[in-house]
Amino acid sequence: MQVSTTEIVFLLGLGSLIFLIAPLFLVMYVLLYNRNKKKHAEEKMAMQVSYETELLKTQMEVQEQTFKTIAYNLHDNIGQLLSLMTITLSSVNVNDTARTAEKIATVEDLTKRSMKEVKALSRLLQGDELLGKGLTTAIEAELDFLQRSDRYKISFTRFADIVFDDSSKAIIVFRLFQEIVNNIIQHARATEIFVTLEQVSGMYKIIMRDNGIGFNVDEKISSKTGMGLLNITKRAALIKGTAYISSIPDQGTVIILNIPIAQ
Amino acid sequence: MLYITYNTASAFICFLMALVFLFNDKDAAWRLMILFLLASLATEVLGIFMRHAVHSNLGVYNIYVVIECGFTSFFFYHLYGNYSGKLKWLLAWLAFFLVMYIAELLYNNFADFVFISATIMSVVFVLASLLYYFLKMQDDHFEPLLSSGPFWWVSGALFFYFGSTACNLFFDYLKDHDTAIYSRSVRYVVFVALNIVLYTCWSYSFICRYRQQRSSSY
Repeated sequence: MQVSTTEIVFLLGLGSLIFLIAPLFLVMYVLLYNRNKKKHAEEKMAMQVSYETELLKTQMEVQEQTFKTIAYNLHDNIGQLLSLMTITLSSVNVNDTARTAEKIATVEDLTKRSMKEVKALSRLLQGDELLGKGLTTAIEAELDFLQRSDRYKISFTRFADIVFDDSSKAIIVFRLFQEIVNNIIQHARATEIFVTLEQVSGMYKIIMRDNGIGFNVDEKISSKTGMGLLNITKRAALIKGTAYISSIPDQGTVIILNIPIAQ
Repeated sequence: MLYITYNTASAFICFLMALVFLFNDKDAAWRLMILFLLASLATEVLGIFMRHAVHSNLGVYNIYVVIECGFTSFFFYHLYGNYSGKLKWLLAWLAFFLVMYIAELLYNNFADFVFISATIMSVVFVLASLLYYFLKMQDDHFEPLLSSGPFWWVSGALFFYFGSTACNLFFDYLKDHDTAIYSRSVRYVVFVALNIVLYTCWSYSFICRYRQQRSSSY
């Protein structure tokens, strides 16, 4: 069969055109993919910046919380003890030997208690160092300090030690813990606090329960005063964790933090 | 006027661009591009001369295929440098090509163009271009490809070698029945178009490379 000139020109032209268009689409696809990669990189960077900002904020909040506790303790505890010592010492009558000995013994006891309080405070002041020793140690120290107030009966159960490779994650979890404890102190009117640390299938679980007045979770979250609870959920999500909040009015509240162990 | 054709003109412009933008390049591989383009231009001019003087320029183009294969393979290897390109692969490919090339020359008694070697070379360069894209897409590090010299160099090569596939497939037929069109063969017209695309992409890649070098030196 004879092929005409026009047919050859047409076939070759079409063939070459197709073989030129194919790489054109490929180049366009690679460029588009690269543009998406840039967008993804920018989003990743923004998330990193937001994470670092949040981390910095959390670190400052941990410090602020520590200072508040110290100020509270200095005023209400050590201050009271020192006042009692002053009153006791000023009432000493050197001629009444028997009473003086008794009063000096009381002052001695008050001094010892003050020293214990100062020691506990200094331990709290080293919050960052405590975190360095492990999150479990820091949580234990915080609960220990809370117990000293005699306002709460605290049950601490440890089925697992919480250890993170990433120290920033430990700071965020510690702050979550502090925030929950703060909520209990300020709003729950509880007498008992139960804290449990567990490890379940690649996750650390921190369960915090109180026997306080409780609240309606949905109502609280949708109201302006529920910012703290939202903050807890948001912070947990920041480290790819979850915060489950359950509360029944007049029966207490349970908050379960699930934090993945891996990065 | 005999020597001023679309091919020589586009090759000359690209050579000038390389000379201006790559002369002071820090990378020897990019500077070598100037010599390669000079060789391409010389081949085109010599090809025209030989066609008119002895009515055959096969020898010139057969020699040029070796230079083209050597330089382009080396340049691809150089571009893979960031992704741990292995020297043994380059050497193995070049050795394979040389054996195939010499065998084809001997088979044709030096009387024909090394069509099979050139076609296989084109296929390998298309694959090399695709591999480069794949590596770029896999790379987590973002690079603005629109202004990336290597990317446009590879794109030019891909357009040229993939675009010439139709001509390569029809080579045997065209050799015997090449059809006159606009006083030139069909193959010639297609290759003029491909050369223009190739040299445009490469010229742009030299500009990108120059701008990249300047911005990194500040």
